[in-house]
Amino acid sequence: MARSQNQVLRMLAMVPYLQSSNGLNVRDVARELGVTPKQLTDDLKLLMMTGAGEGGGDLIDVDLTALEEEGVIHLRDADFMTRPLRISGQEGAALVVALRTLRASASGDQIAIIDSALAKIEAALGSDAGAPVDVVLDEVDAGISGTVAQAVAQGRRLALTYANETRDEQSERQVDPVRVFTERGRMYLEAWCLRAEDIRFFRLDRVISAELTDEHVAEHDADPVDLSEGVFTVGPDTPFALIKIDGAVDWLAEYYPVEVVEEHADGTSTAKLFGSDWGWLCRLVLRNAGLISVLEPAELKAQVTDSARAALAAYDG
Amino acid sequence: MAARKTERLMNLIFLLLATRQFLTKSQIRQSIEAYREAPSVQAFDRMFERDKEELRELGIDVELGSHDPLFGDEQGYRILRSNAELEDIDLTRDEAAVVGLATQVWQHAGLASESSTALVKLKSLGIEVDTEALRMAEPRLSTAEPAFDAVWDATVRRVPITFAYARPGREASVRRFQPWGILSWRDRWYVGGFDLDREAPRLFRVSRIQGEVETDGKPGSYEVPEGTDMRRVAQSLFPTPREEPAVLRIAAGRAQSLRRRGQVTVPGSEHDVVEVRIDSLGELAAEVASYGPDVVVQSPEDLRARVVTMLRAAAGEV
Repeated sequence: MARSQNQVLRMLAMVPYLQSSNGLNVRDVARELGVTPKQLTDDLKLLMMTGAGEGGGDLIDVDLTALEEEGVIHLRDADFMTRPLRISGQEGAALVVALRTLRASASGDQIAIIDSALAKIEAALGSDAGAPVDVVLDEVDAGISGTVAQAVAQGRRLALTYANETRDEQSERQVDPVRVFTERGRMYLEAWCLRAEDIRFFRLDRVISAELTDEHVAEHDADPVDLSEGVFTVGPDTPFALIKIDGAVDWLAEYYPVEVVEEHADGTSTAKLFGSDWGWLCRLVLRNAGLISVLEPAELKAQVTDSARAALAAYDG
Repeated sequence: MAARKTERLMNLIFLLLATRQFLTKSQIRQSIEAYREAPSVQAFDRMFERDKEELRELGIDVELGSHDPLFGDEQGYRILRSNAELEDIDLTRDEAAVVGLATQVWQHAGLASESSTALVKLKSLGIEVDTEALRMAEPRLSTAEPAFDAVWDATVRRVPITFAYARPGREASVRRFQPWGILSWRDRWYVGGFDLDREAPRLFRVSRIQGEVETDGKPGSYEVPEGTDMRRVAQSLFPTPREEPAVLRIAAGRAQSLRRRGQVTVPGSEHDVVEVRIDSLGELAAEVASYGPDVVVQSPEDLRARVVTMLRAAAGEV
């Protein structure tokens, strides 16, 4: 949607809201509307050029002194619009998809709450309810996600059996849960791991069993983790393998952290494939055998070849 | 420029909302400075028509009518308050919290803003939103696909579109398409609808749309078939699983991803025999190959053959 349309929708929502709650803080309202305080201030100044007419008292008035000196919003002379307009098709679609996403990751009683909220919002949208939208996240065992949700809500320690896919092994750990979130369609538990003595992320579909313990979560001195760039981030120190890709590259980049170094005339490419564990990289290359092959390092190249030969021996024998 | 247009649209909305009478075009022109400044009546007409169209796209109905058609009154415009205003919605504390949490889901500036304005509208009805009232999972929706915005817009407004689409490793082809609905399937966006050239429903992955998405008609120019369910459309994406499972010999404690989905039928000290459902032969072959000597296929034969082909390629025996 064009930016100006977003601005119109936002300003229309603002007028009745700022009248119903007089004296709100600029920063709070900006956060609620998902804009910067500067943008909100610009919106308010623009609102002062508008009204039901052009005469004195017909234009919307905003107390600029209070706005600029105290960061507080007083809006007057907008009696012609004390109720919000209906939720538009666009606003409704954005909200409904978000609610369906919440539903896809919720468990237990929360699903019923989301369903009734969704039903009421969709009823209010009426014929504007618009396009069918749905959200499907990774499948997670309902028993496990329920137990984890309960542990987060009640602040209880969890005993987990977890399958570590990077090292392809199972482990038992006690963790103090912080929150559950999704990233790239997968659900994760962020928790303090008592064994690692640090914050760890556990993919819920890799949790083999989860049990509530009687212990309450303890206070831990953990630095907040910035996940704005995702769970796996590629930095200057991230190890990588140099690989040769046969054919189109785009499919690989859809699934794995890849950086193309050179595209060759014969349709193949050379690329960096990032990963923190050689065992994991070896499995990734084997998984795509025939489509990608290792150029460097020689150790990984040998590991892939040895692993494939050992496997072939089992079929010959 | 953008600010002037916003100002003009806002003034038009407020004027038509505040009036009980139908306002004629000339009354509207007299009331709004930007319209008075239009160099000619024709220029004003064009500007006014475009603005009315924008209002329609924003979901605001402008009513055309007159109070006394028998006396030949000129037709005029207004926004009927009872149609335009949001009616009271009765949300419980928990439901309001859920709606509040929903506005934190989008990692996309435009859609985050649209869901936020919807929430602010509810708040101005007096609904109190305390997102601390519930502790829930915090899912996020992100969109990295260049074509996402155009596809989303067209779907929500029901505008036919034309775009180039390419499956990996194939030539792109041009599709003429009526989008019906949108699906986020495990973090990948799909758009479902009707392919006008193939005359059949189709599902496209948004990331595989190449270049610009062109609109090819007016908003609302087709109907979405009643009962369209994106989840069901998506089920057709996946092949039906085979009845016979794969039988695999897996080294003790290895191949977590297969063990999690499978059933151990014969446990052993060095390896277990595990049965795994075959959803897609190619995917399972790739997964088995990834574990090297830790997983060996016992049956079926076609899975075994595929894995061996892959392993030969990896061993450099091609």
